[in-house]
Amino acid sequence: MAPPANMSKLSILVVEDEPLAQKVMAGRLPGHAIDFASDAKTARQMLQKGNHNLCFIDLKLGRKDDCSGLNLIPLAASKKVYTVVMTGHDSEEHVEKAYALGCDDFYAKGNEGDNVKAVLARYFHKRAAPQNGKLFKECFITEDPETHAGIRQALQYAPSDLPILILGPSGTGKTSLAKVLHDHSNRPGKFVAINCSAYTEDLLEAELFGCRRGAFTGAAENRKGVLLLADQGTLFLDEIGSMSLNMQAKLLKAIEEKSFFPLGSESPETSHFRIISATLEDIQSLVKTGRLRFDFFQRLHGLTIRLKPLARRRCDIFPLLSFFTRGGRRFSFSAQAKELLLQHDWPGNIRELKKLVDLLEAGGEGQVGAEAVQKLLNTLSIEEGEGFITEEQYRFARQEGLEKAVRRFLDAVIQRNLAENKGKIRKVLADLKVSTRLLYRSLKRGGHPPGSPNGSD
Amino acid sequence: MEATKGKALENLIHDLNSKCSSLKGAAVLLREASEQEQRDLLVLIKKQAESLLEAITVFENTGS
Repeated sequence: MAPPANMSKLSILVVEDEPLAQKVMAGRLPGHAIDFASDAKTARQMLQKGNHNLCFIDLKLGRKDDCSGLNLIPLAASKKVYTVVMTGHDSEEHVEKAYALGCDDFYAKGNEGDNVKAVLARYFHKRAAPQNGKLFKECFITEDPETHAGIRQALQYAPSDLPILILGPSGTGKTSLAKVLHDHSNRPGKFVAINCSAYTEDLLEAELFGCRRGAFTGAAENRKGVLLLADQGTLFLDEIGSMSLNMQAKLLKAIEEKSFFPLGSESPETSHFRIISATLEDIQSLVKTGRLRFDFFQRLHGLTIRLKPLARRRCDIFPLLSFFTRGGRRFSFSAQAKELLLQHDWPGNIRELKKLVDLLEAGGEGQVGAEAVQKLLNTLSIEEGEGFITEEQYRFARQEGLEKAVRRFLDAVIQRNLAENKGKIRKVLADLKVSTRLLYRSLKRGGHPPGSPNGSD
Repeated sequence: MEATKGKALENLIHDLNSKCSSLKGAAVLLREASEQEQRDLLVLIKKQAESLLEAITVFENTGS
């Protein structure tokens, strides 16, 4: 069997004295070129040749041996070989010693299947790491140091099975980031994305689990669901907050059991996928208000990454503009036009910026002045409607009713203005041009009655 | 005497861990192996089981 398509053939040295353990390792490393050494002397000679990518070292080479495998670590490390210790001696002392001598990875013998797979994934991840600079210029465009740090941290977990939750407003690149994480995971399967808010409950169930012909009206043929399509790959669940509690329970069961029944089927399907999920809503409030099951949230929540809105990473505006126009029509912006672009709040975030580029490309001059930019920005805010109503507000109004949504909006505006005015109520009354009665009602709802630290003048 | 026994116990624990994990790994391979590979594997598995027994005997005889 050849290595998976996204893994190149490696040269691997296995230092192991037991013939059966050698056989097991050979079975776990199909398609790679493997050399075996049963003792430290042979291993040293082979390492000196210096052509191995990886080296697995058993510490104790023979019954009377006193962990001579340890002495091989510095040599392997000096040859820039990814050095892995595999041993029955996994005491803290040995772990510490092995890492101090320069090994890259350490595992206790007993679960070769998963351990060897995980080691290879970490090796490929480490090998790809120097190209991360390219990542921020070509795959996920950002020059923002905080975003760089968040993504770098997430990339460390890319090869693992840990679920990742991406939070951020609409249009901040959540899907792109999920794809980047999949591309760095070395998973042989596909990246399959589904926007949960785009389907009614019944359709979402069929999309997720698949269906057999005749399972429901309109199911004319057998169809694979995204859970099965993502086998050995990544399932990206966007807008998880819009999923019904019933569907969350069904999906949770499928995630835990790695098995599910397509609609209308009596035989289960099995699928091993990694979950990356995203929402633009406040995740804590989703859980608090009971819209997201706590057990489902626990399943999705391994590592959390927050993507900032474009207005909070303005340094990305021009790199993104340049990226979107790469290989196509280029523009020269006047100083005032640049200033306008920098000052704009980009409520639709990167998606809005991309629309601006589309509009620029479709017509107008190559030299772009402030007036042209202002006109296009006005058009965009009318088109998107996001300048005033966000997706979250709209969905909340549909789910909870407009009256409740208006109250929530009003409370949020008052709280923000109150904070900006350092709790001075008279200033809030003047700023927002509201009646005292309305303001006090809102403060009471928010748990900040006048006289409390957040509500006094 | 105590030190020798302690060392022997460490060796036994290592052997048990390491040999049993190879046996477990070989069991997984058996399912996917061809008939010839199965025969080869079984020879190695037998040897491994014998050496496991030997390791236990060595420990039992230590210090006795």
